[in-house]
Amino acid sequence: MSVSATTSETETMTEPVRKSSSKSVWLITPGVIWMLLFLVAPMLMMVYVSFWTQTTFAITPDLTTKSWVTFFTSETYLNSLWTTIRIWLIVLAATLVVGYPAALFVGLFVKNRTIQTALLVLCVIPFWTSFLIRVLAWRPMLGKEGAINLILMKLHIIQQPIEVLLFSELSVIIGMTQIYCVFMVGPIAFMMGRVDQSIIEAAQDLGAGFWRIFRTIILPLTMPGVVVGAIFVSVMVLGEFATAAALSGRKVNLLGNIIVTQVGSLKWAFAAVVGVVLTIVMGVVVAGLLRVVDLKKEL
Amino acid sequence: MSTVLSLAGVRKTYGDLNALDGIDLSLPDDSYVSLLGPSGSGKTTLLRVIAGFETPEAGAVSFKGERIETVPPHQRDIGFVFQNFALFPHLSVEKNIAFGLENRVENPITDASVVKSKVRDIIGLVGLAGLEDRAVTQISGGQKQRVALARTLVTEPALVLLDEPLGALDANLRTRMLTELRRIRERCGVTFLHVTGSETEALAMGDTVLVLDQGRIAQAADAETIYNEPKSVAVARFLNCYNLFSGAPSEGRFAGPDGTFPLGGEKSFASSVPGYAVRYDRVDIRPLDAPVAADEVSLPATFVADEYSGPAVNSFFQLDNGRVVEVETHLSVAPAPECRPHARYALVWKQNDALVYA
Repeated sequence: MSVSATTSETETMTEPVRKSSSKSVWLITPGVIWMLLFLVAPMLMMVYVSFWTQTTFAITPDLTTKSWVTFFTSETYLNSLWTTIRIWLIVLAATLVVGYPAALFVGLFVKNRTIQTALLVLCVIPFWTSFLIRVLAWRPMLGKEGAINLILMKLHIIQQPIEVLLFSELSVIIGMTQIYCVFMVGPIAFMMGRVDQSIIEAAQDLGAGFWRIFRTIILPLTMPGVVVGAIFVSVMVLGEFATAAALSGRKVNLLGNIIVTQVGSLKWAFAAVVGVVLTIVMGVVVAGLLRVVDLKKEL
Repeated sequence: MSTVLSLAGVRKTYGDLNALDGIDLSLPDDSYVSLLGPSGSGKTTLLRVIAGFETPEAGAVSFKGERIETVPPHQRDIGFVFQNFALFPHLSVEKNIAFGLENRVENPITDASVVKSKVRDIIGLVGLAGLEDRAVTQISGGQKQRVALARTLVTEPALVLLDEPLGALDANLRTRMLTELRRIRERCGVTFLHVTGSETEALAMGDTVLVLDQGRIAQAADAETIYNEPKSVAVARFLNCYNLFSGAPSEGRFAGPDGTFPLGGEKSFASSVPGYAVRYDRVDIRPLDAPVAADEVSLPATFVADEYSGPAVNSFFQLDNGRVVEVETHLSVAPAPECRPHARYALVWKQNDALVYA
């Protein structure tokens, strides 16, 4: 008797489950529609357009690989691909070198929650000004007669102004590191905050010194934060064009700058090629970073 | 028996709060010591000072004959089992246990086969065989407790501090772990300092029981002495089995707001806080008009309610001034009292069962 009662109960149980799953479909529908219309469709369109025929003033939907061939045979474009990857790697490393210790400091050594929050908010303050102002503000800092050179000369550390500070690859790297560092600090500090203080004390109690604890406990536990931060920074740096345009004096041409130029001269097919290349690079980078840590498990 | 750890006049304050207010204690080698204290009595602070996570402001901490106040925790050779276990979430059971052996600053073991055999031994000792490769997030609370213990024991510390080790376990498991802990300690031959807020746990576990009150050791004795002869009103209160009456003794009687009790044959203790204590199970419930012997004390009270707990019944009575008095009747020695609500009874105890503090 009790068995039959159980079966009838399970039967009644399955009914509401089915209903709620059809309801849960409605929750995801707007998101799916949005993504299809504004992400998947444009991407497919971009790939399609990259095979269109481009003449000087017009573009026709006759399929050709001419734009692709141009991209992969032109030294300018391949150089720009290489520059993009190089700058991305340097900025990624720089944000990590600046951001990780900062996040560690906030998460590990600042015990007071209020001060912790205040310090993290400080990291975000640069974002309260517009992107353009933030980038352009570097010019009076880094310029030949800028603040840094003036101070160094006043202190007699240098005799001649350091010219490489502005309108060079260095200035682009400095600018980008400053802007994107917070995207590295945030996720790492978040992961750090989730590391129980007693775990570190337990490791100490078992006899491990600071660097051992860092290598065996803190680093692995904050790795998901590093990966998430690296994904944020990578995606933004790889798609960058404004910092390079404002701080390099046109000397540094990233893939993003090429897209801007090509679209400006209505070379849609070619811009689409660069767009597809950039998307593939980003895809590879993100996939590679996700390989480092199983985020599904960690978050 | 030699002393493994001794503290003398240890003080630690947090702002205005005296977390530790002059702690003096010494722990014998190879024994199980339990430390009983209510929350806020400074238990955890004391453990953290011993382990080295906090530095005392005054006083001496000596471990194996050497002063260690300024020695950092990783060089102390004192094991700490955390209340929340503090297992390394990214490592397997085996790796958690091997952590100390592989990563300690002093004398780390680099030979993987030695580590493996030591870990295997300790896993056998704490009863975790078969779980070596599990993630510590995938095992039960009791198993986590064992991993935390094994991780500490494998490094062979001379002293193991356990901060409310059973607090996170359910009642059933707690009783089992109590016997396990004793067995494991006897096999390892080290001193365990087991901190707890539960009086039954403290009494059951400790060869020696320390009672901590307001940052001081209020009493240090074996379990039976603590239970039968708490040295102060505070200790009696923590034991949670004494009716405590305030007042003061004068001219052969103890007088207070709850009643006047004739004195004679009672145990008396010198104490700054005066009081009169009688254990729940020493009180007899009688009809109001029943005769009272010369060496007995009688107190009229109104029955309120009772609680049946299996081996015993706890009855609650209200005195005329509203104060509640508890009586515990062990069903193995007496039938359950059948009291009618709101009826009046006489609560009677022998004068020599009373404890008087003055």
